[in-house]
Parts: sequence; structure tokens; C-alpha cells
Amino acid sequence: MASISLRSVSKWYGNVVAVNDVSLDVEPGITGLLGPNGAGKTTALHMMAGLAAPSEGEIEALGQPVRDNPEVYRRLGMMSEHEAVYPFYSGRKFVELAARLHGLPDVGAAVDRAIRYVGLSDAQDRALGTYSRGMRQRMRLAAAMVHDPEALLLDEPLNGTDPRQRIEFHDMMRRIASEGRTILISSHILEEVETVADRHLLMVSGKLAASGDFRAIREKLDEQPYKVRILCDDPRAMAAALMRLDTVESVSMDDGAALVLSRNVAALQRAVPVTARDLGLRLTRVEPLDESLESVFSYVVEG
Amino acid sequence: MLPIFELSLRQLSGKWRVAIIILAAAIPIATTAAARATVGTNDGENLDAMARVILDGMLLAAVLPIVTMTLATASFGNEVEDRTLGYLTLNPVSRWAIVLGKMLAPAVIAAPLLVVSGVAVVMVGLDGGVQTAAAVGVGILAGVAAYSAIFAWLGLVSSHAIGFALMYVFLWEGTLSSLLSGIRYLSVRAYILTLMEGVGGWRLDSLQDLTIELPAAIGGVILVCAAFYWLAVRRLRRMDVP
Repeated sequence: MASISLRSVSKWYGNVVAVNDVSLDVEPGITGLLGPNGAGKTTALHMMAGLAAPSEGEIEALGQPVRDNPEVYRRLGMMSEHEAVYPFYSGRKFVELAARLHGLPDVGAAVDRAIRYVGLSDAQDRALGTYSRGMRQRMRLAAAMVHDPEALLLDEPLNGTDPRQRIEFHDMMRRIASEGRTILISSHILEEVETVADRHLLMVSGKLAASGDFRAIREKLDEQPYKVRILCDDPRAMAAALMRLDTVESVSMDDGAALVLSRNVAALQRAVPVTARDLGLRLTRVEPLDESLESVFSYVVEG
Repeated sequence: MLPIFELSLRQLSGKWRVAIIILAAAIPIATTAAARATVGTNDGENLDAMARVILDGMLLAAVLPIVTMTLATASFGNEVEDRTLGYLTLNPVSRWAIVLGKMLAPAVIAAPLLVVSGVAVVMVGLDGGVQTAAAVGVGILAGVAAYSAIFAWLGLVSSHAIGFALMYVFLWEGTLSSLLSGIRYLSVRAYILTLMEGVGGWRLDSLQDLTIELPAAIGGVILVCAAFYWLAVRRLRRMDVP
């Protein structure tokens, strides 16, 4: 049985349609919810969590309706994309609040376990206001899973995390999923969920554009070039060096940055730091551009 | 409900907010002390005028609603604005309990300061005894409860809660309830004054045009608290949590 199911769900705000007639099932394991910014992912997640009411359609989580049904949160957890916390609370106090609100029998043990899970035991007594963005995200995740939920909805959970934290996060998700739980991770960055999710849902312009195994989707996506913006202390030298790589289709200069088009992002990711090291350059920023992602998603829809 | 109440107490008791509230509550006491220094102890007419100006005009019509407004609109308003309301609603806690915690916290912070202010005004300025002081305390407690309910609901339904609250305080409670007698039955200020008179067994001639029957005032306070509590629960159930 699906852990979360949406049947003909739509959501509109005035004349703006945020989610348009979406039907989907989320099974146990890790599912990636992908789509460019504004695709309707957050609205869909909010409806799955009962935070927003659908304008039309039906939503169930773990066999129960989610809207105006607080009891469902004994088995369901969510971490929203908004990073606001109570800055005056320590990390431990914040997770403890969630544990107390869930009425857990042994609050201390549950809080210890959740904080240990996200690897923040040493920082648990510091005020949240002093945390880095990545630490805040991890403590919010601890609060979302303190009650050991059967299904966990995570909206852009990797915002603000560094590559090492992402690897740790992926390991953590795999551990949780291996216990038979359901995890839905939304992201607008393909690479963030590509390696961790078993199944993917692609949303574009409020609609479910594609779903299923990533390899099939990925083959389609790879037919479209991927745009990456690179900032370093000598972008022209970097651009010239990258042009020589087979994985790079073209390089242009844009406002002091090198703009690279590639069909093989994974190879490009490996090549950029190596090239910078060989040239003695200092990389200051490497970012995939949403615009290119949108074009890729559009391609999937049109295809 | 207790974790939400504790959280709200912590949210609302920032040092600047508390300092401003203490200052506001001290204004009627300082004004009374200054006026008292110039008014004789047997000058009944002037004492009556002081009651009208300081107790009613300053404390009940301005300080009490504004202090309570400052706290109660922020109770839900900050959660909505900061997008932290989800931390409360994504839990197996009834909406009744969430709203109760959010309405009680501002009342618990505001009530002691305002009661002290009111009692001090009566004891220092109006030669009031223990019964009179207790009556003022009861009236202020009722007023804080009613205003907390109204303003906490307002903080949940509007991002411009303070603007609407100020209009309500100055137009409805401050102006219209004095000018139109029928409005007194829908005025928290009238409820407070009536409770003060009814419980204290005292009577100030200059405030008679603002009071109503005691049962109507008691019923009014209960009705306002219950109605806005219910409205806030209803709103929390139906709204899209940001």
C-alpha cells in the first residue's frame, strides 16, 4: 500500500494554479520530488503534510486523511523549506519541544537519539541563533524525526549544506529508508537527490511531468545541456582550460564568470576542481543555473 | 498545551518588550502620584476627575488594551510572519490546545503588571481600600483575558493586526463606546468598569455613563473570550499554514 497518495489534486490561489490535477503514490523507500523553482513542489508537500488544503482532490497519508487530523502526525514527520527556528532555544530544547508536543513517553531518550542521528550532540546546548545554516537544517531534521515517523517529508533539506554534509545526509536517509520507512525529498537540484532516491517524481508548472526510475528520466535529461556558472580568480583561464574537455559543449563569459554548457554534469563536477588545481586558481563559486534546469524539465514535459 | 504556553512565554518576554510594557504600566502610577501631590485628600470632586482621567482614560482606555495588544497580536502573528507555525501544527496536538497556550501566554505576562498599575492608581490616587483595589484587579484581569482573546485571533487572521487593533482600541473602545450608549454592551472597557463597580461596591459619578448592568458585563466578558477562542481555533483548522 502507498504511504502517501494524491488523487486528482489541484491547488490554486486566485487565478494562479500551483498544482494541477496531480495523482501520485509515494511508496516506502526514498522518493525524490524534483522540479524547478515554482513547479509546485512545496505546495504539493504542504498538502501532503496537511498544512494546506487542496482546492480539489483527495490526499491520504498512511491510510488517513491529513487535513485537520493532528493524530496523523504521530506517524508522519515533515521538515519545511523555511529555515526559521526559535533562535533563543538551544538545539536540544528545540528538539525537546517537538518531542513533548508528540507526547513521547521518554522525551530525554528520544531527543538524545534524534540529535545523535544528525551528529550534533556536541552542539546541542548552543542557541540555535548561533548555528550555521547547515547545522540548523540538521537540527530541524532531528526535530522532524524525533518521534520516529513512518513517513518523512523533507522540503529542500540540503539547502545550506556543504558537500560533506550532503554525503552524511544521504547516508542518514538510506539508513532510515532501510528500516522500511517512507522518505520524500524535494529538491530543485537534480544532483542532490539523483544518487539517493530509488524513485523520482518530476513536477513542472504544477503538473506531474514524469515519474519512475531515474535512469530512464536521466537519459532524457542528458540529451539537454546543463548550464553551470563558475567564479574563480581567473575565469578566462578557467574557461580556456574547460573548453579542451570532452564533457564541455561550450564556454562563454558572463559578468566575470565562466558559463559552461555540458551534457555530463558528473564528469564536469569532477573536472572543475582538478582544472582549478592544475592552473593554480582559487574557486569561489560553482553553481548550476535554475534556468537550465527549467529548460531540461520543459524538455521532459514536451518529450 | 504546556509546551506551547512555555514557548509563547519565552517568545513574548524579550527584554525590550518587557521593558516597554513595564514603562507603559508605570505611566498611570507616576501620573497619579504627580496629580495626588497637587490634590487635597478631601477634594472629592478632583478625586472623581482623577478617576475618570487616569483610571479610565489612561489605564483602561489606552494602557491596558495597548499593552495586551502588543503581546497578544505577536503571539500568533510572529509565528505566521516567521513561518514557524508549522512547528506547532505538525504535531498530534489539538488546535484547541494550541490556541489556549497562545492566548494564555500574553495574558499571563500582561496581567500582573497591569493589575499592579491599577491597584497602585486606586490605592495612591483614589484613597481606595482593599476591596476597591481587589475590584480593580478583577476588572483588569477580565479585560486582559478579553483583549488577549481578541488580539490573538487578530494576529492569526491578519498580517496588519496591530493597525486594525489600534483602530479598534481608539475608535470603538475609546470613542464610540463613550458616545453611543448601545455600544457599551459590546465594549470591553464598559465590562471592566462595570465589574470594578460591581465587585468593589464603589461608585464614581463621572463614570456612570460608561457602565452597564453587572450580569451583562460578566456575560459579555465570557462571551468575548469564548467567541474569539472559537474563532481562532476555527481559523487555525482552516488556514493554509505558511
